[in-house]
Amino acid sequence: MILDLERFQTRAGPRWSSLESLLATIEGRPDRRLNPMEAEQLQELYAKAAVDLNRVTHGALAPELRQYLERLVARAYSELHYVPPTRSELWQPRRWLRIFTLFPETFRRQSRYFALAVLITVLGCTLGGLAVRYDPAAVDVLLPANYLRNPGQRVHEEEQAKNHDRHSTQSEAAFSAQLIRHNIEVAMLAAALGVTFGIGTALLLFENGVLLGAVAVRYTQQGFGLFMSAWLLPHGVFEIPSILIAGQAGFYLARVLLRRSEDRDVRQSMSEWLVLIAGTAMMLVWAGVMEAFFSQHHEPVLPYWFKVAVGGAELALLTVYLLLIGRRKTDAEARNFPAENK
Amino acid sequence: MKDSQPIRWATMPELAIATPEGVLFRLPLAGPASRLYAMLLDMAIVLGTVNGIGLLIYRIFAKAPGFGVMVITLAEFAIGFAYGALLEGFWNGQTIGKRLFHLRVIDKSGLPLRIEQAWVRNLMRVFDALPFAYLVGGLSVLSNPLMQRFGDRVAGTLVIRQSPLVAPGEEFWTPQKYNSFMDYPTIAMKLRRAATPELASLIQDALRRRNELASYARREIYRELAAYLQAEISLFPDELVEMLSDEQYLINAAGVLFGDRRQSRVYR
Repeated sequence: MILDLERFQTRAGPRWSSLESLLATIEGRPDRRLNPMEAEQLQELYAKAAVDLNRVTHGALAPELRQYLERLVARAYSELHYVPPTRSELWQPRRWLRIFTLFPETFRRQSRYFALAVLITVLGCTLGGLAVRYDPAAVDVLLPANYLRNPGQRVHEEEQAKNHDRHSTQSEAAFSAQLIRHNIEVAMLAAALGVTFGIGTALLLFENGVLLGAVAVRYTQQGFGLFMSAWLLPHGVFEIPSILIAGQAGFYLARVLLRRSEDRDVRQSMSEWLVLIAGTAMMLVWAGVMEAFFSQHHEPVLPYWFKVAVGGAELALLTVYLLLIGRRKTDAEARNFPAENK
Repeated sequence: MKDSQPIRWATMPELAIATPEGVLFRLPLAGPASRLYAMLLDMAIVLGTVNGIGLLIYRIFAKAPGFGVMVITLAEFAIGFAYGALLEGFWNGQTIGKRLFHLRVIDKSGLPLRIEQAWVRNLMRVFDALPFAYLVGGLSVLSNPLMQRFGDRVAGTLVIRQSPLVAPGEEFWTPQKYNSFMDYPTIAMKLRRAATPELASLIQDALRRRNELASYARREIYRELAAYLQAEISLFPDELVEMLSDEQYLINAAGVLFGDRRQSRVYR
């Protein structure tokens, strides 16, 4: 009511439009970089628009003009205070390849959450194994699928290649894609369930462990231990650790959320979570390929000792990869920034 | 949500940001309905793309349909997540659906979101989509003052409404050659001083929406408003008020309130 709106708008209008067009130019660029002249101009126009907004807010009743200026100031503010990632971060393929070293580094840095995931899975395994061992009634509850309950029949079918149609390369390809997709979905869910403060992740891992323990004991009990090892190991040595790492990501997320305070920069912690998921997905792609193309071939075609040996070799490679890759670099970083890795 | 507020733009949930320079501005948050529509549109686009690519792949892998299925299954899965993450990360916080429905994802400090945040909020969809039809995410949006689903809470983002910038145009009241209220400067000044911002906006809205209102509603609203102003705030002389329709009364009052200087000059 103090402000002469008409005169105010006529005078300030041109600088609002030039701010608008400057913003449109900057927002059109994917990396949102400003050259020095634009930065200076943006700073100046932003300051003026902010003053105009204050004047309209306190000195006039013009909701529409106020809303217009608020949007303009908000956009300018976000461009002015945003620190764009450096160009090399975005467009250099080498940065994308860094995931192969970042993954084991992150895995080791957050290994206590991995230990927690292992602990819960082992608890589940023990419970599932003991239940099947000492309580025959538990078999029907814990092992819903028939092929899990009656190993003898399954082993016979597999060795006679009754599921022969599954074994053409074509169907194996389709089967592997389904496996990869399903497993990655489960792993992502385990990682995302961290948002329930880790309770969901723990339940999922525990359930997984119970099933694993029950199957292992059931097959071994009936004398098909070797068959089962040969059947599960080639893909299981990647699949099971990857679900454990997904659980690790879930517990890590829970921890980050629990101690998050307003001023904390969560960007770094969220990147670690993403790296763990990306690594898990890579492992599951391999596991899916192995499960469809290799694990489903049995004795007359592939000797069991060979399959077990392949599984053992994979496990050794995975262990070396997770424990050793990027280690020298991490040590160097730790020496340079001792506080960062605490 | 504050539903009973008379000012239209204040009934929406907002994010208020105070900048270091001491400027306060508000960003309107997006409601669940528009977000749902945008998501459905995005899903349609993803499905369309995947099926398009699928047809192409079937042609290429005509002799190896198994590999075709493999590529399609994995492509569908990857595109489903990467579509949202990459578009939001590199295209100003918007997917195609979000752009069409004027929505935008931003960091909750008001800054543009980063690519990591875009990935986090899109990967968290596996949780928000539980147990079916985004029930968890929907409940989260409805129960959160910033209308965030769990993916947004984890990534520290939120979705705002970003209607296109339109500079305010014409005056909303008919400019008067002569405003008879200006003949009584003391009373006019009293009206200016006593009118609250809410009351002024109410008058402004009533006049601006003249043509949207049914004639009986308009008569009734204008009558009530004019009677209220005359009785409670500024007592203009009866001989003047009797000559004016309620609408003219409000137009004059708006002229007084919103700094209609030209009229005062004519008066002088």
